[in-house]
Amino acid sequence: MFRFLPEQASTIAPEVDFLNNLITDLSVFFTVAIVGSMLYFAWKYRRRNGVDHPTPRIEGSHTLEIIWTAVPTAVCIFLGWAGIVVYNDMKHVPENAMTINVTGWKWAWEFQYQNGKKSGGQGAELVVPVNQPIKLVMTSRDVLHSFFIPAMRVKQDVVPGKYSYVSFTPVKTGLYDVYCTEYCGTRHSYMLAKVRVVSAEEFEAWISHDPTEGLAPSDLGKQLYTSLGCNACHSLADGVRLVGPSFYKSFGREGKLSDGSNYSADENYIRESILNPNIKLVDGYAANLMPSFDGRLDESQLNALIAFIKAQDGSAPPAPAVNISLGDEEEDLSKLSPKERGEKLYSAKACIGCHTLDGSNLVGPTFKGSYGSKRELQDGSSVTVDDAYITESILQPMTKVAKGFAPAMPPYEGQLSESEVKDLIEFIKTVK
Amino acid sequence: MGGHQVVPDANGHLKENNYLNCDKSIKSWLLTLDHKRIAILYLVSILSFFFVGGISALIMRSHLAMPQAQVISPDLYNALFTLHGVLMIFLFIVPGIPATMGNFLLPLMIGAKDVAFPRLNLFSYYIYVVGALIGFVAIINPVWLIDYLQGMAQGVWNPLDTGWTFYTPYSTSTGAGEGWGVILMTFAAFVLGFSSILTGLNFIVTIHKLRAPGMNWMRLPVLVWGLYATSVIQTLATPVVGITLILLIVERVLGIGIFDPAKGGDPVLYQHFFWFYSHPVVYIMVLPAFGVVGEIIPVMSRKPIFGYKAVVFASIGIAAVAFIVWAHHMFTSGMSAFSAAIFSALTFGVAVPTAVKVFNWVSTMYKGSIRFDSAMLYAMAFVFLFMIAGTTGVYLAVLGVDIYYHDTYFVVAHFHYTIQGGAVIGLIAALHFWFPKMFGKFYNEGWAKFSFWLLFFGFNLTFLPQFVLGMEGMPRRYYDYLPEFSSMHQLSTVGAFFNGLGYTLALLNLTTSAIWGKRLAPSNPYNSLGLEWQCPSPPPHDNFITPPVVTSGSYDYGYPIEERSKA
Repeated sequence: MFRFLPEQASTIAPEVDFLNNLITDLSVFFTVAIVGSMLYFAWKYRRRNGVDHPTPRIEGSHTLEIIWTAVPTAVCIFLGWAGIVVYNDMKHVPENAMTINVTGWKWAWEFQYQNGKKSGGQGAELVVPVNQPIKLVMTSRDVLHSFFIPAMRVKQDVVPGKYSYVSFTPVKTGLYDVYCTEYCGTRHSYMLAKVRVVSAEEFEAWISHDPTEGLAPSDLGKQLYTSLGCNACHSLADGVRLVGPSFYKSFGREGKLSDGSNYSADENYIRESILNPNIKLVDGYAANLMPSFDGRLDESQLNALIAFIKAQDGSAPPAPAVNISLGDEEEDLSKLSPKERGEKLYSAKACIGCHTLDGSNLVGPTFKGSYGSKRELQDGSSVTVDDAYITESILQPMTKVAKGFAPAMPPYEGQLSESEVKDLIEFIKTVK
Repeated sequence: MGGHQVVPDANGHLKENNYLNCDKSIKSWLLTLDHKRIAILYLVSILSFFFVGGISALIMRSHLAMPQAQVISPDLYNALFTLHGVLMIFLFIVPGIPATMGNFLLPLMIGAKDVAFPRLNLFSYYIYVVGALIGFVAIINPVWLIDYLQGMAQGVWNPLDTGWTFYTPYSTSTGAGEGWGVILMTFAAFVLGFSSILTGLNFIVTIHKLRAPGMNWMRLPVLVWGLYATSVIQTLATPVVGITLILLIVERVLGIGIFDPAKGGDPVLYQHFFWFYSHPVVYIMVLPAFGVVGEIIPVMSRKPIFGYKAVVFASIGIAAVAFIVWAHHMFTSGMSAFSAAIFSALTFGVAVPTAVKVFNWVSTMYKGSIRFDSAMLYAMAFVFLFMIAGTTGVYLAVLGVDIYYHDTYFVVAHFHYTIQGGAVIGLIAALHFWFPKMFGKFYNEGWAKFSFWLLFFGFNLTFLPQFVLGMEGMPRRYYDYLPEFSSMHQLSTVGAFFNGLGYTLALLNLTTSAIWGKRLAPSNPYNSLGLEWQCPSPPPHDNFITPPVVTSGSYDYGYPIEERSKA
């Protein structure tokens, strides 16, 4: 009776369901027994014709009290113990588990595999091989989220600033729902994803398709330097200061921090500066401009970034002040539409580091639906996001800062040609 | 006012100079020191909030009648469930039974003229009013409100949308009041809590000091024990809200990382603080309702309450355990497996005394002479609904199973069975049961029974489907849902309207009867042995015409067991 749990797709599901169904049966039994006796007494001892009949003064019974304390206690001890056993099985991670990093943010999930392959965004798929124990190491970029796969019977809160994990072994191929089960704002109910359980062969084929596979750490670091938007603020050129210090020959640099103490830019310093940028500020740089990357990077990415910064040791010819190429140099950009060129600029010029396309706000406002919308500014006035406003915001971002955002964007005056700005606007128009 | 002539008629009905009409000025109501009038002030206030909270629930349920519905915007939906939670919990059901029925009945039940500190009692009420106002301001967004008052309101209205749990870092980073919303709301909870503390202290001192001669501890009515346990919890748990408030302000103003991970804080710490207060609060809501049922069943069955001592110690036991189970709201938060196991085990410490209470209530009816006034129907409904609330609580206490149900509709259904099926039904039962005493009149019994059945049917139709939704994996606080959940959502929406109609009719019946009712009530219509029934209906300002002396227990119904052969 009352069996409504979804299909069982993991090894733990039958254990959870057994316990769940046992509780259901016990609950039905006790509810029927107790409410049944109540109704029976109510009927049998009902007052008739509005006249009370004599009643005995029964004040209690020690025997009964002992019985109905002992029986629920015994049931509770058993169920509590069984619950702990199931929970331990659920939290146990087999030694051969495949680790996948999961990042949640308002309002999407991103999955990253050990070879660097990523899939993310709204409706993202977590692809896993069947019968392979999985360990998800999870964190959040912004607020609390919770990762719930009903078919696997597992759920775990995802907390910014730390890692939590969930482990399961899928036993059936198929497509299963993932929900966010910790309230996280406007689009909480749309923070959905899927688990796709496939055969081992299919998984191999899928996972080996990976653009970052086989990259040396410093090359992966170079990709991250662009894709995470480090390049918006840190140049690779000698003495060129954007918002933050240049990476040129920065490894091993020594100097003073804002609090007067000395620093030496070794691996630990760089790591700390990526994860907690405001703790040790180099003298002369402002606080609270760089977002924390804590939770956004796994260890291999951190290592890659550090390797990349190390490689800027002057052995290669110093990069020009704005060292951003549009990717593949042979590609003829003139053949592309303005929108496509704008899209390339979006990543190449590192807009991507701060402005998303999925509706979530990072450092800057999202581009999604921005064109043509009304925007409130910090001074209380408001503007329509049109060509003129976007152009001004790219070239002179400090003049009209949107309400609720820090004035953190570097000016692109002199870094982008007029046609490049137009291409970007064309691209932004298409993000709806 | 003691100088008024107090002359009840032969049935104990007091037409002139009762507490309601001894002074009719508005001022005499607003500045009254009479515990009975303060109870009425509270009653009017909390029922207003209940009404607004109920309307917000119906708007949400209407929206949820269809998937992909766009009846209201996601932000409005989020604001509505926040409003619903805050009103129902902090403004309606926490003060609920203690401030209304407790205030009215406690002095009557122990044979006192008033509570120990009547001025403090009135002060508590006004602190409650201030706290309610602060809460309202917090919900509608203080920053927007200031702008608006200066004629500068613009952009989108952004009310508090955090849910009634205010989890950080969402609550400290959301646009609502730019983080000040949650600080103001915590302040409101603290102010409201302060009102509870003062009422709690007042009750504790009253029970210790003002019992009539002969009213010893083991003769206290079980409702008084419930109120006593509740008062102790209120007094001890509320200061934690104050600590949380100070930490939130310190983080906000001084930038010290306490809850905000961006500043090096721990958001899970906030959950510990929140539930360390808010879990015991659940027992503040429900322990007095246990007391109400423990009063109604013996009177309506003409039997002593079965296992008086067990019932009393179960209340005290629940109150004690209430403080050490808070983390069972956090099994998925990433706490260690060891702590999770401990908190799961402790949680069963609540289950056992609760089960004992249920067994005792049902056994009280054994060999009784049972009448089915609407108050008794509510009491029996309470037992049924609380059985469901209790057994579904077991799923949530069992660690491995809770992981699945956490933050799904199963939890929503479970706590509505405990809080609405328990505490609210308890309050409505109490209002019907003591109505003749409070207003000296009878309500329309036909309408009372009709609205009971409507309410009972509607309530189950609303929340039973939500258990199914939870089992199917539907998460809570969802503005939209997948199409496969549609049918259960629709049943639930239909049920919600029946439920709302039931409450409306029940309360309209009581209100109209109180004002225009013609059938006058005698002092003791149920022939009860409870002390509160021995004074006139409605009671005079000073309650008892002559100070009572107690010579027997509150539940000495029926012939002594030694005389069974006479039956």
